[in-house]
Amino acid sequence: MFSNVIELYRCRVLIVSLVLKEVKLRYYGSVLGFLWTFLNPLLLMCVYTIVFSTFLRIKVENYPVFLFCGLIPWVWFSTSILEGADSIIRGGDLITRVLFPPQVLPTVTVFSNMINFVFSLPILFIFLLLFKVKIGGALIALPIVMIIQAVFTMGLVLMVSALNVHFRDIQHILGNLIIMWFFTTPILYPMTSIPANLKFISRINPMATLIKAYRDILFYRQFPNWLLLGITLCFGFLVFFLGNLVFNRYKESFPEEV
Amino acid sequence: MVAIKLENVSKIFFRQPLKRKYTTLRETLLHYFDWLKNKEKARYVEAIKDISLSIERGESVGIIGMNGSGKSTLLKLLAGIYKPDSGKVYVKGRVASLIGVGIGFHPGFTGRENIFINGIILGLSKKEIKRRFDDIVKFAELEDYIDEPVRTYSDGMFMRLGFSIATNVDPDILLIDEILAVGDEYFGHKCAEKIAEFRRLGKTMVIVSHQLEAIEKWCDRVVWLNDGMIREIGIPSKVIDSYRNAIAQKEGKIPLEIRSSEAKLRVPTP
Repeated sequence: MFSNVIELYRCRVLIVSLVLKEVKLRYYGSVLGFLWTFLNPLLLMCVYTIVFSTFLRIKVENYPVFLFCGLIPWVWFSTSILEGADSIIRGGDLITRVLFPPQVLPTVTVFSNMINFVFSLPILFIFLLLFKVKIGGALIALPIVMIIQAVFTMGLVLMVSALNVHFRDIQHILGNLIIMWFFTTPILYPMTSIPANLKFISRINPMATLIKAYRDILFYRQFPNWLLLGITLCFGFLVFFLGNLVFNRYKESFPEEV
Repeated sequence: MVAIKLENVSKIFFRQPLKRKYTTLRETLLHYFDWLKNKEKARYVEAIKDISLSIERGESVGIIGMNGSGKSTLLKLLAGIYKPDSGKVYVKGRVASLIGVGIGFHPGFTGRENIFINGIILGLSKKEIKRRFDDIVKFAELEDYIDEPVRTYSDGMFMRLGFSIATNVDPDILLIDEILAVGDEYFGHKCAEKIAEFRRLGKTMVIVSHQLEAIEKWCDRVVWLNDGMIREIGIPSKVIDSYRNAIAQKEGKIPLEIRSSEAKLRVPTP
């Protein structure tokens, strides 16, 4: 596990420049370019708001903002997983023709999506102001929640990216799995609307705890439940550890299998 | 001093069933059952078979052989991209591999941006790239286009830039795989000069090429690989001659020199 972390630290310059490249490239060639970084989550929010506050009528005050608080961290998570899954395969020549530390590629997907998440925060703040939800002092807890999410996501992405090189079914299964995960995580609806006998699902779902924490900080202006976050962090480290194990198990075979 | 040392190195590739571009879980399971049923059936190819070789510092070694003889695999083992299945590979010094040039280039970025990204991929620090930036651009002769996106470059310009970055890494050991023909005749000469300069500077080089004349000119020693094994090793002219003869024989033409030398051999028997 530590060998990977040390290696990642050693090539931090490489990671930073590749992350910047990804961020710049995401909307490369489109007319609106960088503006899409803001427009995309905005449009996504509009779609869900129309469906869930007009058609399905979820009763939450300031629903668009409520939704947005949960949606943007989720987009960071899900896009990282889906892009990360085939990051090694997409690496192509980098893996097969130069001596390149493969763990850099999944790391870059997680961090470039984190940058996109950070870029959509200003829109969120504008919305908070528009809906007259004040921005609270709990905001200082935000980086901590982000770190926990980053650790957990890194672990998962390392795992799926390595496995996907050998079993390319994974990227196809993942698409559906992520949708399932999305709907079972309280993003579109509040935690309170889950039936009591199903509450355990969101207890064992680390994303539910994280989304709840984001919402506490941004929407309810209160500090999150530190105990639950602590447990999630431990679980995140466990997943990170497992991800590294899986990745190290397969990494030498990448140049032959990609 | 030894720069590269291979000790009984072998590399095995698992033979992949036809159409198996994408492995699926089901296929893997079936594959496993197949394997249980007939274990003795060899499903692998030994691309490099028990090779031992040592290369001195400052020496340039050419690797020749037919397609599929394991030349590129050997080079990738030296570059550290492949790990040997058995045996050991020792490499001392900074390695630059010209196995692929222009890797990690993105067409939407300018030449300048690509130099930085590619340089970092090849293991340079930002400072080092800044220091060498002008040399890289000058060598590629792209001064006027360096701030244009790479997608507007011609293939030749693209290759020139890639080659220029790779050779400016300032390596101790240079691994070259069949890219001596980059760009036009003019740039080809420049590359040749660059390689000659590397030789003068006492860099260790391993060159894989089918251009036998170039190998003969640049190398101190030549390794002829055949079917993953060293068939012959020695001074370039000799090894290349026997390699050419082997090819001629395969084509069914027995070259004159061989016939005459064989004839000579037969004559003295009383």
